[in-house]
Amino acid sequence: MIAQDLYKETLLDHYRHPRNRSDGPIAGADAVARGANPRCGDEVEIGIFMQGDLIRDVMFRGRGCAICIASASMMTEAVTASSTDTTRRLCDQIGAWFGAAETATEAGLPADLQALAAVREHPARKKCVLLSWEALAEAIDKAGGR
Amino acid sequence: MSPAVHSIREPESFDPERVKRDFPIFEHATDPQRLHYLDNAATTHKPGAVVDAITSSYTQCYAPIHRGLYPLAEQATSQYERARRTLQHFIGASSPEALVFTASATEAINMVASGWLKPRLCSGDVVWVSRMEHHSNYLPWQRVCRESGAELRFIELTREGQLDLDSSRELFAERSKFIALCHVSNVLGIENPVAALCAEANEHGIPVLVDAAQSVSHLEIDVSAMGCDFLVFSAHKMFGPTGIGLLYGREDRLADMEPLQVGGGMVDIVGDATRESCWAEIPARFEAGSPDMPGAAGFAAAAEYLAGLGREGVRRHIASLTQFAAEQLRTIPDISLLPHPELPSSGIVSFTHRSLHPHDLAQVAGEAGVAIRAGHHCAQPLLNHLGLAATTRASFSIYNDASDVEALIDAILTAQKVFCE
Repeated sequence: MIAQDLYKETLLDHYRHPRNRSDGPIAGADAVARGANPRCGDEVEIGIFMQGDLIRDVMFRGRGCAICIASASMMTEAVTASSTDTTRRLCDQIGAWFGAAETATEAGLPADLQALAAVREHPARKKCVLLSWEALAEAIDKAGGR
Repeated sequence: MSPAVHSIREPESFDPERVKRDFPIFEHATDPQRLHYLDNAATTHKPGAVVDAITSSYTQCYAPIHRGLYPLAEQATSQYERARRTLQHFIGASSPEALVFTASATEAINMVASGWLKPRLCSGDVVWVSRMEHHSNYLPWQRVCRESGAELRFIELTREGQLDLDSSRELFAERSKFIALCHVSNVLGIENPVAALCAEANEHGIPVLVDAAQSVSHLEIDVSAMGCDFLVFSAHKMFGPTGIGLLYGREDRLADMEPLQVGGGMVDIVGDATRESCWAEIPARFEAGSPDMPGAAGFAAAAEYLAGLGREGVRRHIASLTQFAAEQLRTIPDISLLPHPELPSSGIVSFTHRSLHPHDLAQVAGEAGVAIRAGHHCAQPLLNHLGLAATTRASFSIYNDASDVEALIDAILTAQKVFCE
């Protein structure tokens, strides 16, 4: 079945068993940011918990397609316990990876995130991946401005 | 709906397999056996007759129209005006002058909203649209209302998704200045009682625009019987080319409409410091710039093709296929069909799945060769009203048959295996 090309087992695992997902409002976070895609109604909310310059914890909540949820779940695992600088660089790299840049590379991306590679071939779905990453970048900006 | 008044050439029986052979895409697709095209509400494929008409317009009959005096230019002009007459008969209009070629149905609606309604719309007036409109029959009215201080109101829907005319009593009140609604909803597939509504609006002197984009491919359109003031549709949803559409307007309405685009071909006398410009006759007044002659030829060929199939046979085929699809979808417990009358007939079935996101479902279906649509279908006011962010939509046309429905069901079952097990 070709669907597996896009929906890699890792991706489906994150979709079926999302990590760091909150069912209700994310309480006590240092910063919360939201992202929405009105075209399909997907919505995510990202909350970050800081410890100095480190992102101690990340939670997400929202509704969306398998790619949107899996990307958010992978994101939370990838950036937990990272510095804001490292995380910002990762956000930029993911943005470029799904952007127009020909030179974008997955080199250095955490292993789980590689499962998103196939989405690059489906332009209509790129926004699904990026929703949580863009919200994360905004949350870091908010936390930094406190 | 009133029965067809103009002649129908009814073939012995409607044969989708034979019809499918008229469409080159099904020969040329990478894997023709696996192309189950169920996105016909978005756009339809083109029969060879339409492609040939466009090609021969370029290769045999191409020259500037309405001005050249040599034979080729005269032939091109004749072909363009013949296309207008073909479409006139196709929609039962009383004269070809009532038909304006536009770039799309969207452009046609914008022309009426800004060129006809806006100059006569005042603060306190009310314009009505139905809750089920496509954005193209909503945003132009929203804009002219904002600019004029008028109020835009919805004709709301019953629980079954039909127009709730009982709760829209002010629809025919004195403040009502215009009604715009679709003949068939692009999400619900519901056919609105446009003739009855036009009759009542007419009694109250309220003009009505009917958006026939979603009905023209399978329902007989007769503007005289329907009694509308304006009617719009695009060629590409009825097997014609993209980039061309049609505005029908009652002649007295068109006579009162301001041309939105001014330029070549739409003016008789160009004014200067001492005198005003004088616009050309209708419909040339509304067709500024070099017209799309090959598009018009293809548009007319599509109308002839459709008329040749027999409109009643087409209607029955689409109705029975839609009902079959609805029945089959109802066998999947997690599927909910959108509000719909008992017998869906307009080729459109929209549904949601308890746990599958429409995008995931459409993606997996696409990989199985089943082309369906997921999203808000350019009808956010309706989806907001239904409390939905997105739906999955399958829409059927003349070249579809039961095997396409079966492929759809298989694709849904596959998607359930991928995501839900």
